[in-house]
Amino acid sequence: MEYQADLANQVLIFAILAFSLNLLLGYAGQVTIGHAAFAGVGGYAAAKLATAAGLGFAPALVAAVLTAAVVGLIVSVPALRLSLEHLILLTLAVSVVFVTLASSTSALGGAYGILNIPNPDLAGKRFDYPSEYFLLFLPLTILAFLIYWRFVESPFGRVLKAIREDELATRALGKNVFVYKMEAFAVASGLAGLAGAMLAFYTMLVAPAQFNVTQSMLIITMVIFGGMGNPTGPVLGAALLVLATPVLEKNLNIAAEKAGLVRMVVYGAALVLVVQLRPQGLIPERFSLMVVPRWLNRWKRPQTAAQSQAIGAAGNSEPSAALSFLDGYHGSSSSAQPGGRGNNDGTVLAVRGLKKRFGGIEAVAGVDFVLPAGRVTGLVGPNGAGKTTVFSLLTGVIPPDEGSVELRGKDVAGKTPDAIAKMGMVRSFQDVRIFARLTALENVMLATFGHPGETFLGLFTKPVAVRAAEREAKERALKWLSFVGLEGKADLLAGSLAFAEQKLVAIARLLATEADVLLLDEPITGIDPQWATRIGEVIHTLRQLGKTVCIVEHNLRALEQVADHCYFMESGRITAEGSLRDLMSEPRLVSAYFGT
Amino acid sequence: MDLKFDLLPQLFVNGVINGSAYAALGLSFALILRVAGRFHVAWAMIYTLAAYVAVVAAQDFGLPLVPAIILGLAAAALAGILTEWIVYRPLDARGGGLLGIFIASLGLIIVTENLIRLTWASQTLYRPLPGFPTELISLQDVTFTTLDLASVLTAWFLLVAVALFLKYAPHGRWINAVRVNPEMAQVVGISPDKVHLLVFVLGSVIAGVFAIYAAMKFAAVPDMGWQPLFLAFMVAFLSPRFTPLSLALTGIFVGLVESLSGIALTANWSPLVVFSVLLAYLIVLPIRLPRLAKLVRAWAG
Repeated sequence: MEYQADLANQVLIFAILAFSLNLLLGYAGQVTIGHAAFAGVGGYAAAKLATAAGLGFAPALVAAVLTAAVVGLIVSVPALRLSLEHLILLTLAVSVVFVTLASSTSALGGAYGILNIPNPDLAGKRFDYPSEYFLLFLPLTILAFLIYWRFVESPFGRVLKAIREDELATRALGKNVFVYKMEAFAVASGLAGLAGAMLAFYTMLVAPAQFNVTQSMLIITMVIFGGMGNPTGPVLGAALLVLATPVLEKNLNIAAEKAGLVRMVVYGAALVLVVQLRPQGLIPERFSLMVVPRWLNRWKRPQTAAQSQAIGAAGNSEPSAALSFLDGYHGSSSSAQPGGRGNNDGTVLAVRGLKKRFGGIEAVAGVDFVLPAGRVTGLVGPNGAGKTTVFSLLTGVIPPDEGSVELRGKDVAGKTPDAIAKMGMVRSFQDVRIFARLTALENVMLATFGHPGETFLGLFTKPVAVRAAEREAKERALKWLSFVGLEGKADLLAGSLAFAEQKLVAIARLLATEADVLLLDEPITGIDPQWATRIGEVIHTLRQLGKTVCIVEHNLRALEQVADHCYFMESGRITAEGSLRDLMSEPRLVSAYFGT
Repeated sequence: MDLKFDLLPQLFVNGVINGSAYAALGLSFALILRVAGRFHVAWAMIYTLAAYVAVVAAQDFGLPLVPAIILGLAAAALAGILTEWIVYRPLDARGGGLLGIFIASLGLIIVTENLIRLTWASQTLYRPLPGFPTELISLQDVTFTTLDLASVLTAWFLLVAVALFLKYAPHGRWINAVRVNPEMAQVVGISPDKVHLLVFVLGSVIAGVFAIYAAMKFAAVPDMGWQPLFLAFMVAFLSPRFTPLSLALTGIFVGLVESLSGIALTANWSPLVVFSVLLAYLIVLPIRLPRLAKLVRAWAG
């Protein structure tokens, strides 16, 4: 009985470590190989407070969680802007620094660690045996899991997944990804600290070797093996990994000293095979325990590309969807932007003297243009003219060297993409940058501003408001998907849609931000004429909705159908303007455009 | 704090000895990372394997030192090729990305390390490689061994040889071409796949050489690859450019930082000092040098 309880306690502790890492690795896409160090911070904090300060189990546990969360928050600051490989390096450095500090500081017990941590004592009840610990650890683990579940299976978790899929696209939707990453690091570290403190009280000691890089690798193995991005996968991974040793010992009659090693060989090999053959792990991302009800309601599940095509044939793919949408739209949303439609002269965006150099190359060399309210403006020119760079400068993806960008009279040059998106100017991307492993509906729901469920505190303090906002966000997302004619594909994974459909989802996503200035980067290029006509009609309808649209587009025939006015850009400068027909009747511009 | 400046000459020489090895390890890791684009954590497996094959060949099969070393290096090269061919390349083709390769790499290390532990579970895991005529050399206040000297000479020979190879040999120029632009290299008839295998062979052999030196100086142990992996990581990432000279200077810098910390601290604090430098670099990194220069210019008016 005590033996089984001992195993169960180990499973619970490692389960917390695994699902807390999953929050970072599986949801936010942040690869860390120093997770055990955060458990160590919690473990050492609890051990020190319990032995030196005589703190009881509960306050020591709370202090451990807070200490680990604060350390995680501090570590997350330099981690925010690092590439994946540098993030791995940073977390490795943190891990080595922690272990060296712990093993070299006499106050922390040096290489032997802190010993003789007292047994937990809670409300007069002392916990001595594994079975007693189990009664203490089970509710703690359930509580930790519920907190984690609340984070990941929520609008907050949806934003984390979006960051994992495409950080820049998430910023372009007005999300401050740095704050989200910091919060994810803090929560994951706090939960790891809880596991570390539980381990300290359970083994009655803490030592540097319990929290080194090898332990971090073991936790990563649990997450990968169980399944990343799924709330329950890492719990299964932890259980399998912990229980493998006794199974090998008892059932396969392997000597105790070898069983642990055999387990690691099997899991190492399994890790290589899993990543090759089943990268989603044992439990894939969208697997739910509610398999049967879902099976009975198959229409609700994300579907495959084949199903997508079937629905495409039968679903609402009529171009008239966007036009019929107009009836219910006028006066409902775009006026919600701060500052109204535009200045007195009808200009919403005024760009003056915009410049950007990359080393010796002047990509944008003093660009001036305006976007009038409710008009579709084209930005045309040969490849390499600097058109996409202008979009990146306007939306804060890269800061300009000189010049101003006035959005309804306010200079937004140099502001961050999320700040500019919130001020009412958003962009799409040439390469679509759809969140492939999210459904079309989730992609569009992410464009909601001010959702209380997307904030750290809102999730726990405003459950009713979160539910209401989620309902509203869903309705609004469905409305915009309907606008682009894709409501029948709302529950399909965006990555499984046709390229043109992904472009439509990207447009729906922009519209759901309720921004009134839309910068569309090649929305029609690279798709067949039928889809081009459909997207053209959607853009045409945007004008009728009162949106101010700027399009970079190489499909000149389609552009001519939608653009009221065009600027011609070459070598980083705007050199002509007028209707597209006028521009293309100039032999010099035609020559510059086609390179003839 | 007790500052031991009298140890400065000895610590400096130790720094150069270790730093030369770190430079070569960094070169080994950077070749694979920068050319093949693989975040090859299983580099630690290759390192350990080379040392163990040489030790087993010498101790268990009675081979003389040189054939044992050749066998160790051949095993490293073969393991490098197989890792790229069987594990990384198919994974890359399936879109596994950096994370997928990192995870597979992790699996390979776990397998190798624990297989070694299982194979020699009944014997001592601490397996030195005998046979090198190690003698002490004393020059005034500084002492080092013939093995240290050989290690430094080997490191610099490899750094210079690789530099010349990359600059003058046709295959070296292929490596540069694939590193700079694999698509364009393919257009002019260079196979990136073959070049990837080539850098895996080169990187694995260089790693193997210093694994064998480590086995001769200390011993082969199952987890011996981790610490050199961390140092190779660090040199490869800290080096501002992918050139043997830049990597050499970075390696010497890391070696000196580690060693000279001994003036003020005991040896067990040296990893803290080295990794603190890395932490500081990673904290400064997002600021980016051009922006930093701009800030400095603005501050200077």
